[in-house]
Amino acid sequence: MFLLLPFDSLVVNLLGISITVLFTLLLVFIIVPAIFGVSFGIRKVYMKTLLKIFQWATLRIERGAKEKNHPLYKPYVNGIIAKEPTSLEEEIKEIRRSGSGKALDTPEFELSDIFYFCRKGIETIMDDEVTKRFSAEELESWNLLSRTNYNFQYISLRLTVLWGLGVLIRYCFLLPLRIVLAFTGISLLVAGTTVVGYLPNGRCKEFLSKHVHLMCYRICVRALTAIITYHDRENRPRNGGICVANHTSPIDVIILASDGYYAMVGQIHGGLMGVIQRAMVKACPHVWFERSEVKDRHLVAKRLTEHVQDKSKLPILIFPEGTCINNTSVMMFKKGSFEIGATVYPVAIKYDPQFGDAFWNSSKYGMVTYLLRMMTSWAIVCSVWYLPPMTRQPEEDAVQFANRVKSAIARQGGLVDLLWDGGLKREKVKDTFKEEQQKLYSKMIVGNHEDRSRS
Amino acid sequence: RALQRGVPGAPCARHFSFPPTVTSEQIEHLHRRFKQLSRDQLTIRKENFDSIPDLEFNPIRGKIVHAFFDKRNLRQESDGLADEINFEDFLTIMSYFRPIEMNMDEEQLDRFRKEKLKFLFHMYDSDHDGKITLQEYRNVVEELLSGNPHLEKESARSIADGAMMEAASICVGQMGPDQVYEGITFEDFLKMWQGIDIETKMHVRFLNMETIAHCY
Repeated sequence: MFLLLPFDSLVVNLLGISITVLFTLLLVFIIVPAIFGVSFGIRKVYMKTLLKIFQWATLRIERGAKEKNHPLYKPYVNGIIAKEPTSLEEEIKEIRRSGSGKALDTPEFELSDIFYFCRKGIETIMDDEVTKRFSAEELESWNLLSRTNYNFQYISLRLTVLWGLGVLIRYCFLLPLRIVLAFTGISLLVAGTTVVGYLPNGRCKEFLSKHVHLMCYRICVRALTAIITYHDRENRPRNGGICVANHTSPIDVIILASDGYYAMVGQIHGGLMGVIQRAMVKACPHVWFERSEVKDRHLVAKRLTEHVQDKSKLPILIFPEGTCINNTSVMMFKKGSFEIGATVYPVAIKYDPQFGDAFWNSSKYGMVTYLLRMMTSWAIVCSVWYLPPMTRQPEEDAVQFANRVKSAIARQGGLVDLLWDGGLKREKVKDTFKEEQQKLYSKMIVGNHEDRSRS
Repeated sequence: RALQRGVPGAPCARHFSFPPTVTSEQIEHLHRRFKQLSRDQLTIRKENFDSIPDLEFNPIRGKIVHAFFDKRNLRQESDGLADEINFEDFLTIMSYFRPIEMNMDEEQLDRFRKEKLKFLFHMYDSDHDGKITLQEYRNVVEELLSGNPHLEKESARSIADGAMMEAASICVGQMGPDQVYEGITFEDFLKMWQGIDIETKMHVRFLNMETIAHCY
């Protein structure tokens, strides 16, 4: 009994000391740099180390699989090329519209109609459904997350130990650290903006507001261990403009807002999100809509126009796809933000899937599950390109302008430029669809032709 | 990493006028696909394309397969059709569908676009005379509309004729009653595709984009 007491206090002391040390380290290495916007480069070193480990792990799996003659599954079982399940009508309309301007309801065959079938044919030749299940030779580099690897079987002791170690590190060390950081970041944001909100309007308030926002977003960036490379920062959005970007996950907001000061646009939510939103708007004029107002397009457009015309107000951040896309493509941009007539600053965001898949499939995961997945990944590595500003030309309409911006973003980010509405992501394109394509096409041309000859 | 391994039978990437953005990994993917289609032979013939089930549904499959063997597309000096193609030829055809690169200047972009449009032109111009005649145009329209069993040949023909007249009016303007429109030349063809940015649409992209080089 005697011996236990001093031992106990020793343990308590040790615990106390280690927690203090940990927090000091946290403060010095993570929070202080976040406040001032500098970086020690720790994350980059971390990333390089991880890559080396991943390569080693992959080689081990391949070697192990060859020895035991296991077939390896390719992780990207969706194929090697990005197939566009665009509807025939949409695409032909699109090409015709950009060409001679003929709509589909005027009849006749157009020279460009052949294009859709030609491309579909080449896609099928390059890669079709049957062939993707097995790959005898190569595996993509495995990132030690079993959620991304179907090949993980017991290959070798060393590998399993490494994977187990990875799990331990991610869940027991990184996760609590990140949760603490996230908590700090969010509470500082709410507290800071509320306090700043009490100041009288003026230069001081703006200055403080900007820095509070930036600081908190930077802390959140570190909370996710996001390693971001910004390109072409001279093109960053200015006041009175609209910043437009492709959307992969809610993290996009944090990534962009940690490098620039934007006015957000969105719907007011309840719960924690709502608290954050209400606090933020005290410090600087974000544009939040009530749920009922969101449906009213004119109201939305009016408020946005008012905001842009006031040059002292911040650039608006908008994601025109309307939903999260899986970062291999860019889908149709909704034209609302392009009708306002302000300068558009396009931004392309591309995530590196090797370190963690940032895509939020909202039909599969809720927000909390998604955040947990993000926080238990190794890191989130992405690139952001600021593209030069674009304005609507006089002979363009909003849709054409939107597509021009979309093409620029797709081109820069190396993403596929798709034409279809992101709302279709929840449904799968059916097989009978393919056979119907030809029938549909001929109906389109012939049906119209018959109508025309009748009238 | 992939280059160290080496794939037997796959020629080195340096032999092609591929831009550096096509990685050796992508060429390996295509090589695997080629081996599958050729059943491990060194060359592919037309019959090998019959093994692709999805291609069945494409109304112009004949023309597409034909395009692979067309010597003009294969950048060979002679004319006509090849009997069989090897992997290098396969890649040459695929290169018509490579995506646009970020650092192309005006001239390169223009050449890029013309190459793609030439590919499409050759699909229409089946007798290799450099012009799309009315008969060839009718041919394409009939094939595209072949999915509809109820369509009579006459209707398809009249649609084609209407389209051809439209094309003639774009290219030549008003024609006198005695003038015969020979056919759509490549210059006219280019005119008709003006305004359509084919170079951003006529491509097939590989899914795993190598962003590692960009990310740090």
